[in-house]
Amino acid sequence: MTPLLHIDDLVVDYASGGRTVRALDGAALTVQRGETVGIVGESGSGKSTLGSAIGGLLPGAASVTGGAVRVDGDDVNTLRPKQLRALRRGRLGYIFQEPIGSLDPTMRVGRQVELALRGRGTRADVTAHLARVQLADPDRVARSYPHQLSGGMAQRVAIAMAMAGEPEILIADEPTAALDSQIREEVLGVIFSLAAEAGTTILWLSHDLPAVAKRCSRVVVMYGGRVVESGAASAVLDSPRHPYTAALVRAVPGAAADGARLSSIPGQPPVLTGSAQGCAFAPRCPDALGPCSADRPPLVSVAERDVLCHLAEATVGAGR
Amino acid sequence: MRLFSWWLRRALSAVLTLFLVSVLIFAASRWMPGGFAEVVLGPFASPEQKAEVAAKYGLDESVFVQYWLWLGTALTGDFGISMISGEPVTTEFGLRLPVTAQLALFGVAAAVLIGVPLGVLTAVRAGGRRGGAALGRLVSGLGVSVPEFVLGSIVVFLFSRYALGLTVGGYVPFGQDPAGNLQSMVLPAAVLSVFVIAVAARTTRDAVLNVLVEPYITASIARGESPGFIVARHVLRNASIPVITVLSTITAYLLGGAVIIEYLFNLPGIGTYLVQAVGRRDYAVVQAGVLLAAVVFIVLNMLTDAAAGVLDPRFGAAAKGRKR
Ligand SMILES: Nc1ncnc2c1ncn2[C@@H]1O[C@H](COP(=O)(O)OP(=O)(O)OP(=O)(O)O)[C@@H](O)[C@H]1O
Ligand SMILES: [Mg+2]
Repeated sequence: MTPLLHIDDLVVDYASGGRTVRALDGAALTVQRGETVGIVGESGSGKSTLGSAIGGLLPGAASVTGGAVRVDGDDVNTLRPKQLRALRRGRLGYIFQEPIGSLDPTMRVGRQVELALRGRGTRADVTAHLARVQLADPDRVARSYPHQLSGGMAQRVAIAMAMAGEPEILIADEPTAALDSQIREEVLGVIFSLAAEAGTTILWLSHDLPAVAKRCSRVVVMYGGRVVESGAASAVLDSPRHPYTAALVRAVPGAAADGARLSSIPGQPPVLTGSAQGCAFAPRCPDALGPCSADRPPLVSVAERDVLCHLAEATVGAGR
Repeated sequence: MRLFSWWLRRALSAVLTLFLVSVLIFAASRWMPGGFAEVVLGPFASPEQKAEVAAKYGLDESVFVQYWLWLGTALTGDFGISMISGEPVTTEFGLRLPVTAQLALFGVAAAVLIGVPLGVLTAVRAGGRRGGAALGRLVSGLGVSVPEFVLGSIVVFLFSRYALGLTVGGYVPFGQDPAGNLQSMVLPAAVLSVFVIAVAARTTRDAVLNVLVEPYITASIARGESPGFIVARHVLRNASIPVITVLSTITAYLLGGAVIIEYLFNLPGIGTYLVQAVGRRDYAVVQAGVLLAAVVFIVLNMLTDAAAGVLDPRFGAAAKGRKR
C-alpha cells in the first residue's frame, strides 16, 4: 500500500542575499494514514520548511534541489499548478503560528469560513463549523472581524477553516506558540479531537518534545535539516537512541511551553550552506567518535524506531 | 451615534480650518511687497495716483476692516470682483474651472483605469516571470524621472509639426464644440497621464507586494485558492487604502491646476490663472482660489477617510472608537 506521505531524501536550499542556506539536507519521513506525528527540533532545524514542502508552499527563495515529496503517491513537485491546488484543497489542511494574522483582516469571519467551505456552506453550516471548534458564541464570532477576536478564538477559526474540507493530512506549524499557556491545551484538544473524528492524519511541528509525546502516536526529531530519530512516542521519549534526542529529553524540564526556545544544550545548531559531510550534531555531541564528523550516518532501525546515528547500534541496550 | 459625532467633529474642524486658511491668505497677500496699486500703475506712479487706486478698491482701509468686509460678502457666496478684469470672481472661476476639472477627470481616470491595474499586474507577476517586474520599473521610472516639462515640450514640438488630427493649444469649451474640445485636450491629458499613471502604478504595486507577504495570503494559498481568486478576494481590498490615499492626493493636485501642462498647451485653467493673479496682486482672485483649494483638499480627505473606514474595519475602529 502506498503510504499517505512519503518524503524521500528531500533537499531544500534557500537563496538569501547571495548566500545559500541548506534548510533540508536529505530529510526522510514516511507517514501512514491515521498516525498523529509530532515533529520536534530546535529553531532552524527545518520543520517549517518540511511542512511547507508537503503542500508545495515553499517561498520563492527556496528551491528543491533533491529528493521528492509524495502525497498518496503523487510527487508534489511535479504537479501542475491546477493539480497542486486540488491537492491543497482536497487533501491538505494547514494551521499556522500566527492566528489573527492568518485571517483576512477585511473580511468577516463567517464569510471566510464560508469561502473555506467553497460555496457549499449555508449560514447554518458556518455556525456549525464554528461550534465544532468549541467557540462559545459562534454567531457572534461569525459576525466579527479578525481583529475583534482573541488569539485563541482566531486559532479556533483557523482550525475550523483548515478542517472544513476534511483533509487527509493536517499540518499544524507551532499552532499554539503565539497563545497564552492556559488555552494551549484547549486548542490542541480541539485539533486532535476534530482530526480523530475526520480520520485526518496530523503532522504537528513543535519545539516541545514532552508535549508532543503526550498527544502523538509518533515522534520525529529533526536536526540540521534531517530526521535524526523517528518512532513510537513512548519508546523515543523513554529511551532515546540519538544523542540529540537524549539531550532534548534532558534539556526540557517537564512543563516547558510550546514555542519556548530550547537553549540548554551547549553549542549552537548549524546553519548549513551545503550538504553536511558527517553528522550535523557531531560538534555538539558528547559521545562523538571519529567517523561522526567524517561520514554521513546510516539509518539504523532499532527498538521501534529509525535512528540516524553512527552510535545507534553501539548504544543498543545501553539503557539511555 | 459615535459615528455621527465623529462626522460632526470633522465638519467643525473643517470649518475652523477654512477660517484659518482665509485669515492666513488674507494676511499673506496684503503683506506681500508691492501692492495692487504698484503693479497696476507701474514703478513711476506718484503717491497721489497710488492713493487714488487704493481708495477705489477699498485698499486704504486697515487689513482688519478689509477682512471683515470680505468675510461678510464671502459668506453670502460673493467673493468680490477681479480688480484686473472687473468681472466677479465667481464668473472668472466659472470660465476656468471646467478646463481644470476636465483635465483632472482625464488624469484621475487614467490613474484608476491604467495605473492601478498596471500596479496590481506588475506586483502579482513580480514573483513569477521577470517581464512584469521590468515593465513596472520602466513605467514608474519613466514617469518619475522625466520632468513634466521635458515630456510636454517634446509632445508639443512633435504635434505642432505632425498634427495627426490633434491640436496643440486652441482650446474650445466642450459645450461649444465637443470634437474640437477633445482634439485640444487629448495631448495635455496624455502627458499628464504619464505622471499620474506612474505614481498610481508604483503605489499600487508596493501596496500589493506588501499584502502578498502577509500570513493570510500564505494561508489562502495553502487552502488551494487560485491566484485570481486570491487577488480579487483578499489582495485588492487589503491593498486599497494606500492606493485611494494617493488617488485622492492626485485628484487634489490636479484640481489645483496642472500649471506646467496648462502653460505648455495654452489651456485657460485654474493653475495658470492663479499664478497670474498672484503676480498681479489680484487679491480677491487669490483669496477665492486658495480657499477653493482648501475646500477641495478637506473634502477629499474626508472622503478618503470615509472610504478607508468602509474598506478596512480596523481603520474604522481606530478612527471612530469601537462600536459594539
Ligand atoms: N525564507 C527564507 N529565506 C532564507 N532562509 C530561510 C528562509 N526560511 C527558512 N530559512 C532557513 O532555513 C533553515 C530552516 O528553517 P525553518 O524555518 O524550516 O526551521 P524551523 O525548524 O521551522 O525553525 P523555527 O522553530 O524557528 O520555526 C534555517 O536556517 C532558516 O534560517
Ligand atoms: Mg518554523
